[in-house]
Amino acid sequence: MEKDKENSFNTPEGYFESFNDRLMDRIQKEEAKEGGSIIPKTDGFVVPNGYFDEVTPSVLSKINTKEPKVLPLKTHKRFYYAIAAAAAIFIVMFSLTWESNPEPITFDDLANAEIEAYFENTDLEMTSYEIAEVVSIEEIELNDILDNELADDIIMEYLDENVDDIEELNLEDIDYE
Amino acid sequence: MIAEETLVQELQREESRAKAFEVLVNTYKERLYWHIRRIVLNHDDTDDVLQNTFIKVYRNIEKFKGDSKLYSWMYRIATNESLTFLKQKSRKLGVSDQELKDRMVENLQADVYFEGDEIQLKLQKALATLPDKQKLVFTMKYFQEMKYKDISEALDTSVGALKTSYHLAVKKIEAYLKEN
Repeated sequence: MEKDKENSFNTPEGYFESFNDRLMDRIQKEEAKEGGSIIPKTDGFVVPNGYFDEVTPSVLSKINTKEPKVLPLKTHKRFYYAIAAAAAIFIVMFSLTWESNPEPITFDDLANAEIEAYFENTDLEMTSYEIAEVVSIEEIELNDILDNELADDIIMEYLDENVDDIEELNLEDIDYE
Repeated sequence: MIAEETLVQELQREESRAKAFEVLVNTYKERLYWHIRRIVLNHDDTDDVLQNTFIKVYRNIEKFKGDSKLYSWMYRIATNESLTFLKQKSRKLGVSDQELKDRMVENLQADVYFEGDEIQLKLQKALATLPDKQKLVFTMKYFQEMKYKDISEALDTSVGALKTSYHLAVKKIEAYLKEN
């Protein structure tokens, strides 16, 4: 206990040694109450351990891989039509030149359903990329090989049912200049 | 650290691009991560957006004319990517932008990578009530301690307008925290 020489008041032990610290604490608390620091200084977000070490190789691997243009599986029907058309044209040409056949087979003799069923049930042993290589979709308009033209609303309905995310179609591309 | 101008030149030359890009990713990954994280809140989404941001930077580096700092340009891409990501997410979920923001904050409570206390959670709730621009300015200034000049380049907004936005954001957040 510390005793004042001029009167008999006492202070707790170590009171003056710890006074500065306590005063500073108090000032900080007061400031926190009054000032803009009611807003916390940190926001509590954390990252998984080692994340920043892993992210660089991950980004670099994506840059280095030149991704082939992937066509969604559900558009393969187009290739079937295209191949069916090619096959039908071949048959028509062949039958026209084959004069010994009195009644040449025409395109109309082949029902679309049959052609489609053939391609559905026969293993062509071709990957979608191989099919894409032999059938140039740039040069073929889908409507050229279909009896009934595809109306816009049918296309929209198809996209609506089969495309989960319209963004996958890459309709918008932000240009950073 | 390599000077920004030199880095840009190396990035624009094909023979040095790969090496320079690695330097770029290592230099900016943390800063851009935190910028994106404060917009999309969730770690996995941030990782996706961060990677997309770097890929866009890589693919567009030849178009970078040096009118702004490389750093601000990347912030702009990161901001656009984050906001586009949120728009796509709300469209996918069939909810409004505000509804999505509210859900994102609600999800924080169960997020293992959010260690915030009650006041920090309230701060996120307050931030979710702000318009995008005010929220962006606030987080860039308050948490990322960016200079107004750099924020101005990144968000393509005048310094004066940014100061007003920041001031308004602080007032609104304080009012929210006091009321709740």
